[in-house]
Amino acid sequence: MPRPPAHVPPPPKSGPSPALIGAVVAVAVVIVAVIVYVAMRPDPVDTGDASSPTGGASSPSALPNAGGIRVGDAPDDAPDVHLFVDFQCPWCGLLEEVSGPAITEAALDGDIRLTYTLMSFLDGNLGNDSSLRAANAALCADDQGAFVDYHAAVFAGQPAQEGTGWTDDQLIGFAEASGVSDIDAFTGCLEDGTHNDYVKDMQTRSNQEGVSGSPRVFIDGTELGNEQMNTLMRDPNSFPAILEAATQG
Amino acid sequence: MNRTRLADLVGLVCRLALGGVLLAAGLLKVGDPVGSIQSVVAYRLFDYQIAEMIGLMLPVVEIAVGLLLVLGLFTRWTALIGAVLMLAFIAGIASAWARGLAIDCGCFGTGGPVDPDDTAYLSEILRDAALFAAGAWLVVRPRSFAALDSLVFRRPGAVPADPASRHTSTPASKGAS
Repeated sequence: MPRPPAHVPPPPKSGPSPALIGAVVAVAVVIVAVIVYVAMRPDPVDTGDASSPTGGASSPSALPNAGGIRVGDAPDDAPDVHLFVDFQCPWCGLLEEVSGPAITEAALDGDIRLTYTLMSFLDGNLGNDSSLRAANAALCADDQGAFVDYHAAVFAGQPAQEGTGWTDDQLIGFAEASGVSDIDAFTGCLEDGTHNDYVKDMQTRSNQEGVSGSPRVFIDGTELGNEQMNTLMRDPNSFPAILEAATQG
Repeated sequence: MNRTRLADLVGLVCRLALGGVLLAAGLLKVGDPVGSIQSVVAYRLFDYQIAEMIGLMLPVVEIAVGLLLVLGLFTRWTALIGAVLMLAFIAGIASAWARGLAIDCGCFGTGGPVDPDDTAYLSEILRDAALFAAGAWLVVRPRSFAALDSLVFRRPGAVPADPASRHTSTPASKGAS
């Protein structure tokens, strides 16, 4: 009686199959991607009410939920003007230089409800942290009631070359020039990054609301088009007409 | 023989082009999460949550696929992913163009709005189409020069021992892919 054939083991492979290795690599990449997502994800910001300063936000004129910095105290029925700017953005500097005074004046006269959202995406682009530090400094100035002048001083002091940024000494110099009385307190606030969380939240909230660059101007929630923006950056007396056109429409 | 070597060379060029561009694009974005998210937001195609997810995870995928392509590991599959990514990018850029948005594609981390005169949609689409073609070549013919695939996964019988055996193999032989 012949013996049944012995079980012959399959020839040994040189290692795991390519498909298995591929699957392991794919899973590893997915895990790394998820870890990056969880670790780098900005804290979500509640996009709820940000209509008026409540005192609970980072600095006195800061709106809740990172809604921006309110300038002036116009009544609720005044037209809403919202500017999104990054301190390191040259076009924002031009907008501020040409039409900033008219816009600020309208806000301080109570004709418009003016809000500034200070974005900081250019830090990543330019490889520095000057947008964050300057925005934090502007809120430090707001602690002492000097936001408007400080904001103007930073834009007026933009470096000739985009990306150079500002030293702490320069940011303190802007404070001295814009009527911040307690420079020690300002310097401490600047060095501690007291308002950094609020500044980062302003950037996140901008993106949550679909704003993906600067400068942006919204009047009563409607974004100004290119032509109107170019006009504002060219003609210092153009703001009233643009405001009227936007609020008539 | 000569044609095979030429095709292997074309494969290498395709790998380095597609892989190199993906690797560079991923590396330039991975260190700037805010900018990467904002570049996706600028397309106005997704809810913020989705844009955030894409902005943070895409660079990781680009780096991984790019690196594997440059090394020549799992060439067919990574080339497939790369080609699909290029199709998605072309669709996104074309859609931004069609809707009249004025944005940079954000491919290399400098995304976001630009002056309407400075948009480069056509050249961005042509570049991605060329990279798609490179990926497609590798999906059809993954063999190339200096690929780790041929080192790591070389097994007896997997590759015809000599050119003659290819002609004698029957259509029914296994492992034809």
